[in-house]
Amino acid sequence: MIVAGRRIQLEARLVTPKWLAFVVPVVSIVVALVIGAVFLLATGHAPLRAYADLLDNGYTSFYGITDTLGLATPLICTGLAAAFAFRMNLYNIGEEGQLYLGMIGGAWAGIAIAGSLPKVLAIPTVLLAGAAAGALWVAVPAFLRARLGTSEIVSTLLLNYVALNLVNYLIFGSRGFFRDPTTSFPQGRTVEPSVRLGALSFFTDKRTNTYPTLFIAALLAVALYWLIKRSNYGYETAVFADSPSTARYAGMNAMWLQSSVLLVSGAIAGVGGAMYVIGPAGKVDPGLLQIGLGYAGIVVAALARYNFLAVILTAVLFAGLRVGGSALQASSDPVPIAIAVVLQGAVLLLALGGEIFRRNRLRVVKVVTA
Amino acid sequence: MGVTAAALEARGVTKRFPGVVANDHVSFDVRRGEVHTLLGENGAGKSTLASILCGLYRPDEGSLWRNGGELRLSSPRAGLANGIAMVHQHFRLVDRFTVAENVVLGRRNLPFVLSAARLEDEVRAVADQFGLPLDPRAIVGELSAGERQRVEIVKALYQGADVLLLDEPTALLAPPEVEKLFVTVRAMVAAGKSIVFVSHKLAEVVDISDRITVMRGGKVTGSVARGEADARRLAELMVGREIHLDRRRARRDVGDVLLSVSQLHLERDGVEVLHDVNFDVRAGEIVGIAGVAGNGQRDIAEVVAGILVPSDGGVTVCGHPTTGSGARGTRRAGLSYVPEDRLGTGLAPSLSIVDNLVLTRDRGFIVDRDTARSDALRYIDELEIKTPGPDTPTRKLSGGNAQKVLLARELVAMSGARVLVVSSPTRGLDVGAVEAVHELLDTARAEGRAILLISEDLEEVLTLADRVLVLYRGRIVHDSPGVDDDVEAIGRAMAGLVA
Repeated sequence: MIVAGRRIQLEARLVTPKWLAFVVPVVSIVVALVIGAVFLLATGHAPLRAYADLLDNGYTSFYGITDTLGLATPLICTGLAAAFAFRMNLYNIGEEGQLYLGMIGGAWAGIAIAGSLPKVLAIPTVLLAGAAAGALWVAVPAFLRARLGTSEIVSTLLLNYVALNLVNYLIFGSRGFFRDPTTSFPQGRTVEPSVRLGALSFFTDKRTNTYPTLFIAALLAVALYWLIKRSNYGYETAVFADSPSTARYAGMNAMWLQSSVLLVSGAIAGVGGAMYVIGPAGKVDPGLLQIGLGYAGIVVAALARYNFLAVILTAVLFAGLRVGGSALQASSDPVPIAIAVVLQGAVLLLALGGEIFRRNRLRVVKVVTA
Repeated sequence: MGVTAAALEARGVTKRFPGVVANDHVSFDVRRGEVHTLLGENGAGKSTLASILCGLYRPDEGSLWRNGGELRLSSPRAGLANGIAMVHQHFRLVDRFTVAENVVLGRRNLPFVLSAARLEDEVRAVADQFGLPLDPRAIVGELSAGERQRVEIVKALYQGADVLLLDEPTALLAPPEVEKLFVTVRAMVAAGKSIVFVSHKLAEVVDISDRITVMRGGKVTGSVARGEADARRLAELMVGREIHLDRRRARRDVGDVLLSVSQLHLERDGVEVLHDVNFDVRAGEIVGIAGVAGNGQRDIAEVVAGILVPSDGGVTVCGHPTTGSGARGTRRAGLSYVPEDRLGTGLAPSLSIVDNLVLTRDRGFIVDRDTARSDALRYIDELEIKTPGPDTPTRKLSGGNAQKVLLARELVAMSGARVLVVSSPTRGLDVGAVEAVHELLDTARAEGRAILLISEDLEEVLTLADRVLVLYRGRIVHDSPGVDDDVEAIGRAMAGLVA
């Protein structure tokens, strides 16, 4: 690009200063807000007012932040699932379906154990059942990938639609195990209270949408971070991701690494689905199909640059945009949902696009005419 | 302006990268109609200087001058607009395009409708002018390395370059192709072009150069004109000390057989790539496997190291049969393996030196990086590995330093490994690094280890090995002590001329 006799160009950075990791996202968000402001002005809304509402409804008010944390809880799981696979260059796009399966598996365990276990055992059982179901849902793509080199992108993506229809079938299409037998209204059978956790009140007498599963999700992030940084398994996956030929030279088992990473990824997403059972839903709830937490998890992971600890933050950021954005529709100066979506899209696109300024720097050079 | 203003000149050029001054007040010039060679070890700063000369990098200090006028280059395109072109070591061509299409690719003012015949004629005219045999209609993907290089050179000439920077132009060429390249270079010089020849291969540049400037550690250490160039003197300028190019031999008696390979066969996709390979390597000896590239060297190394499973036959390491026990099992039996492909196979390029040092260790559940870090610091010091620190990714190291990291892990750290398999350990390394690597191998032999050296560099095999085997089409076709009298027979065996 040439401006006023000077050429503006990108030059690859040899080293990336640490502070850029914070500055670039912040500047990206500011630019996104400016772009959003253009749309808000064009549709006759006051941008600052709308942003204040968004901030309030998404992050700073009591109900705003608790709603956000509640939504962020399963999102942390799908974000971790995506990050775990993507950093190994295994593109598991199936978190959405694995999340549903986790919900089904968790509900199954919750109904099946029916109060026969104390809470401290029942909750982990439900989570593990969700993990197992999520892993099972990715088992076929994992096997095809490790054994035959079939693209996991296509196979995991297609299974999302199968999972979606499976949930619809269980609730709307059949009168089976997962459907509430006490009513003719199609809804899921609620699990035993002993496998559910109550919402947090944060030392008030208010009822929030945040559940203690938030801490389980955060612990999971810390555990995965440790696993990758310190353990031999993390080391081997890092070597394999960097150079499969080096891994082969060192005698690592490529099939085991590839399939296990995909299975763990599916299991983490599955835990997210089971948390939905333990927390807000308590049953197989087709409402989950509307939220798109699986696909959002991929965005959350990319924003976090596949860093498990950063996933916690980006999940909260993303959830707040969702919560605050939908609240804008109901504010005193209702902003159409389309504008809220534009704003979300601008924030995410710019935050991801900002990467280029972390890796490169701008140089302004005088154009020399030969 | 003087009568002999340089075609291209760098005056006091300095370029810094984080942690290193790649060029420290370097001055260099090339005149019309001359070949000026830039000689130096890997990491001496010659590629950086070439990149500055062609406009890829901008100097932090100093200036460029072209025919007596100061020049500021903002990009390689600006360099090209000023008649300066770089021919990179790794070609930048579109494999599926024809020669003519590749050549005209960089041209900006192409007409909307291309006439293939006209372009081909133009390309042929340029090629013929400089005696470059080239078919403009050939598909680049089907050409040899030498022919592709000619395409790059024609491309530069077609775009009007008259200063050509050739970066390690002989690195990928077979000997006859090197000879053809030199013919081309002479033709270009005769036509008044200026050539900057960037190389670390001392022997070959003496012939072709009008002047040779030697760089070391980012500085110019000396400059000699044709006729004054003496290989030993240049080598000293390059490495900064006297070097030994003499032959090494075991000074002690050999011991027990530590590596035994018997009746090895390997089939791949129904083709037999190794046929009845038998040899033993004893403690305290180096057995060299010579041969032209692609005759099964990599397969032998990988079968012996346990990475490939042979179709038939077996490998014994220190008395333990290791066939089928995999790379890890073979390593536990006492074998360590230095593959020829350093950065793609021996090392994980994006991982740090520390992380690469634990690659072939038993790591347990938790990786012990503290020990690896102190080891890394020790090797960096002892082996003079040039790096900003132990956390630097290995891909940021020069070839010689990367090889030192690999050898530190497989030779020095694996002191329990009594058998070493070493493939092309000095390929692409400069004189000083070659010397360091040979020193390490010699020490390992003196310690009583059994070493299998697989190398396409016959000179290296003859220098180091106590016994020389020749591999031809997957068979061992020659076996001798490799003394002077054997050299002719070895050469014939490598060419496949065996009864």
